Amino acid sequence: MNAPGGIGAARYIGERMPRKEDGRLLTGRGTYVDDVVVPGMLHVAFARSPMARGRIVSIDTTMAKAMPGVHAVLTEADLARIPVTLLSFFMMPMEVETTLLARDRVAYVGDPVALIVATDRYLAEDAAGAVMVEYDEETPVVTIADARAAPPIHPDAASNVAATMGEDEPNPDLERALRGAAHVVERTLTHQRISQSPMETRGVVSAPQGDEELTLYITCQSPSVIARSVALSLGMPDLSIRVIAKDVGGSFGLKNTPWREELAVIAASLILQRPLKWIEDRLENLISANQAREQEMTLRIGFDAEGKLVASHCDYGINNGAYPQGADANVAVHAFLWAAYKMPAYGFLTRGWYTNTVGLAAYRGPWAMESYGREVLLDIAAREMGIDPIEIRRKNLVTRADQPCMTAFGMPLEDITPADCLEKLLRHFDVGAFRAEQAEARKAGRYLGLGFAVYIEPTGTAGSMPVMTGETVSVRIEPNGKVQAMLGTHSQGHGTATTMAQVIAEELGVRYEDVNVFEGDSSRGGYGPGAAGSRQGVIGGGAAVKAASLLRDKVKQVAAHVLNASPDAVTLERGTIRVAGAEEMTRSLREIAEIAYGEPARLPHGVGTGLEVTYRYDPPPVTFTSAAHAAIVEVDGDTGFVKIKRWISSEDCGVMINPAVVEGQIAGGLAQAIGTVLLEEFHYDERGNPTTATYKDYLLPTIFDVPDFEYVHANTPSQAAGGFRGVGEGGAIIGPPTLVNAIADALAPFGEIPLDLPLTPAKLLAVITGKPLSPQHHAAHPAAAAGDAAAPAPTPDDPGIAAVLAGVEPERIDPPTAAGAAVDGTWKLVMATPMGPQEMTARFATDGTTLMGALESPEGSQEFAGTAEGPNLRWEMKVTKPMPVTLKYDLTVTGDTLAGKCKMGMFGSAKVSGERA
Amino acid sequence: MKPAPFDYVGATSIDDAVAQLASGDATVIAGGQTLMPLLALRMSMPLTVVDINRVADLRGVSVSDQGVRIGAMTRQADLLTDAALAGALPPLVTAVRHVGHHQTRNRGTIGGSLVFAEPAAEMPATAVALGATLELRSAGGTRNVAAETFYLGPYMTDIVPDELLVAVTFPAWPRHARTVFREVAQRPGDFALVGLVGAVEIEGGAIARAGLAWFGMGPTPMRARQAESALVGRAPGDIRASEIAELAIADTDPFDDVHATAEYRREVGRRVFAQALTAALAQEGQA
Repeated sequence: MNAPGGIGAARYIGERMPRKEDGRLLTGRGTYVDDVVVPGMLHVAFARSPMARGRIVSIDTTMAKAMPGVHAVLTEADLARIPVTLLSFFMMPMEVETTLLARDRVAYVGDPVALIVATDRYLAEDAAGAVMVEYDEETPVVTIADARAAPPIHPDAASNVAATMGEDEPNPDLERALRGAAHVVERTLTHQRISQSPMETRGVVSAPQGDEELTLYITCQSPSVIARSVALSLGMPDLSIRVIAKDVGGSFGLKNTPWREELAVIAASLILQRPLKWIEDRLENLISANQAREQEMTLRIGFDAEGKLVASHCDYGINNGAYPQGADANVAVHAFLWAAYKMPAYGFLTRGWYTNTVGLAAYRGPWAMESYGREVLLDIAAREMGIDPIEIRRKNLVTRADQPCMTAFGMPLEDITPADCLEKLLRHFDVGAFRAEQAEARKAGRYLGLGFAVYIEPTGTAGSMPVMTGETVSVRIEPNGKVQAMLGTHSQGHGTATTMAQVIAEELGVRYEDVNVFEGDSSRGGYGPGAAGSRQGVIGGGAAVKAASLLRDKVKQVAAHVLNASPDAVTLERGTIRVAGAEEMTRSLREIAEIAYGEPARLPHGVGTGLEVTYRYDPPPVTFTSAAHAAIVEVDGDTGFVKIKRWISSEDCGVMINPAVVEGQIAGGLAQAIGTVLLEEFHYDERGNPTTATYKDYLLPTIFDVPDFEYVHANTPSQAAGGFRGVGEGGAIIGPPTLVNAIADALAPFGEIPLDLPLTPAKLLAVITGKPLSPQHHAAHPAAAAGDAAAPAPTPDDPGIAAVLAGVEPERIDPPTAAGAAVDGTWKLVMATPMGPQEMTARFATDGTTLMGALESPEGSQEFAGTAEGPNLRWEMKVTKPMPVTLKYDLTVTGDTLAGKCKMGMFGSAKVSGERA
Repeated sequence: MKPAPFDYVGATSIDDAVAQLASGDATVIAGGQTLMPLLALRMSMPLTVVDINRVADLRGVSVSDQGVRIGAMTRQADLLTDAALAGALPPLVTAVRHVGHHQTRNRGTIGGSLVFAEPAAEMPATAVALGATLELRSAGGTRNVAAETFYLGPYMTDIVPDELLVAVTFPAWPRHARTVFREVAQRPGDFALVGLVGAVEIEGGAIARAGLAWFGMGPTPMRARQAESALVGRAPGDIRASEIAELAIADTDPFDDVHATAEYRREVGRRVFAQALTAALAQEGQA
């Protein structure tokens, strides 16, 4: 930041430099994990649980092991040869026993049960389908409400409470303050479950070189964190681990630490001493990669008669799934809920809950629920009290004049600027003109709405939590004058190769084009958490500033000595060294670098050769970013669809390194916010079956759903080196309340909108029409066993993923051989449907190869006709409810038992078993 | 998400394809926009995949006074650039524009969409609305089935495993027939929450013919038969769109899913039907 502004001074910080990585990435020359090929590499697929909860009775891998190309089929008993401890992001062991593969029970649909190693992924998946697992299914615990009521799902846990903080009993002082408030609002808000959905799914190539060395190519957020975590998990202190992740296709919190599948592949590779590749496919990513959010919050806020905050209380829950990446009560929600506001008293009870769903991981702004709850309730309160939504914020925000001060949670604030961001936003935007337009539109039956939200966000955290450390930057000027920088920052697509090069080029005084940034390898740079917690600009950028300026000092020292000039007279700009008032002494950086490396005798006394600096930067404990956003929407009164007409961001991310990168970060977070509010929901039915297991049903926002955003850069330098503040997560935090407030404003003439995300068209049209068009919570799919023949009842949108996972297709492997037993008589059948087992009674009567019969279920009886060729029984029957579907039974009788399957149209097959009644 | 093993057969002619289908558990691949994901998910595990992409006789659009015949293998994108089709059957072209995305339409075929029988898809409902006939070929000969009777349920049709859809034939509609179309989908290119397609022909100041069908409003394309009957013989000025919409809704059978309830679909269907009909009757054209 202190580069002398002489003629020719190159300013790179603050410029929209084209990204160094774009040409390579946009032409398909990136290197992601799946691009890595190691000699001798084999491929992994997993056999996974088709049910949410059950006891494993037996696992038979005989058939799978005998299949072509299969090298190994490993269960937890096999992997247990290497004891592995799963660790959270904070390097802490799990609170409940978490094994790599399911050992004696499965706890969610997609729980890995066996690991198959084959010569290619096709053959591995063939064999995965042939792993025979017998389960004793149990009733799953799916929702937070289920978890509150049910006995613990984990045998080693006392209850389903995974983590808790706060006050179990009401705090009398707080309750008194709330009772005494002139106005109190209280609402319950729910946030749906979100899949992080990185474009690059999880994946690993684990390549052991004997017992001493292990090279891991793994998509992750920090190679050095992965190296540390894997070493600790394996308990192999002597193993030398190098982690490489050159390019990463997004993580969003999912890839902070290696999880069950990645560690299972690593353990298997060590056991087999073969390089193994596992690339998570999209179905696996949607059902078995950890997910995020799924929270519920009951928030109470008390105000005085003027609309000033008096007190607040929050009762909060978050679904942790079966095996969270660290049991989590989401306490950060409470730390930041009122941090930007003058809130005299705050109390909370916060709990995380275990359920039979896939585990909880981080997602961009893991505490974002605080902004959603606070900003939406502030608008509701303003409406109820007849105060303008801008005024209620002006009355209560912490201003520059209020600081330094402490938050209600006990955090010191020195330089937050939310109120400034709001005022700068309002200068960019004519609220009065909008209100006039809105009034006119309402007369014409068009529903426009304006929403605001304001927040602060902790970024660049270091020193307060053991894993949140500083960052190291190593910079060297090579003898040819080119600059090589080795960083612990790690681009997930952020463009850190560009932004860090901008910082280094400006601070050092070289051309941007001459700086190469190397990251994505634990053997380079230094230890640091990489892409986590909006920290790379603040800490990596600060380290780059410091390292480059120290190196610049050495260049000047060497140049001054060589040129016999005063160091104060020497400048370095764009790679050219000049001495003030002595044009003839101008030298290229290359000339000086060659001397620095090759001619020790020409260096000042006591100065070593080379031009290189390594600096480890420890920033202030936390650097706050502030922002205010506004959105204008139109809600279609006939369909409940939301059209975003305008969206303005006014953020203070300190000194901007590259405005295009800043805006890209904000836009990406806002796109995810739009998905959160309008489209995305990872949904389980009441049996714990995921019903949104493909992108046909899990709706991500597309380019059509995301508007062009407008940006007001309301920047004030931070106290960190370089003055940077983090900007990675903010859009995903402030976006949801901004959009929800705009929708609520649009529909205010009809009443209050629901606060359970996502706000689907059905929920909003219900507000407009006053008709119940949408259940408060999604109903499970129509009950199985409706219809005459106990048909399973997948809907067209339910691809029957559990059936796919169950996926064993005996017809494609070995047709069961059976004695020509008589089939006539009464049989008890059980069909394993995606909704659970269905019991039926079948009566068979054969005449030669003709089969006649009837199938009875609690719902009724239906006759059928088919064929009986020896022990093989085949028939078809049509059912009409709840969906017309043709069921094709194909069963084989063996003595007094029978087994086979029922094909259900496009919905896959269900296994059928039975015995003579 | 890798398919189970299957044999691949590249058919060279219609007869060749039909012969392959007669030989056992085989599935036809046309544009692959549905089959490829189903194979990858192992929801479809055929022994043989018969590729009809190189069968020239299955491609092309021919427009005559009798109507429009479209080969089953004709790409959706090609339907959008066919000048004769644009003049002869505007409702079909409008509907095709809503099928998937630009990229998927470059591969996806009209026949694939018709036979897949997704209840919320545009092509099956368009075939039902406009009175199309499907030409099915097997080793045993040719069978013509009216689109209206072809659809039995979600993803279920009257086609039997050894039959190949060769072409779809639409009866002639006059050039001045009005297009009725509306699709409500959460994102452009998604399957419809509510969809409506059809045509209205006005002759001598009154409606002479109406063909209207819903998509996303039941287990199959749902023909709005009562609405059609009520329209025929009426002068456009005498029509109350909201009354016709009530009749049209009476012929639907929508369901709840994770995206919307049946009641939402009915409520929105009622509104968009009336809008689309009113817009169609207001279109410029010979009355």
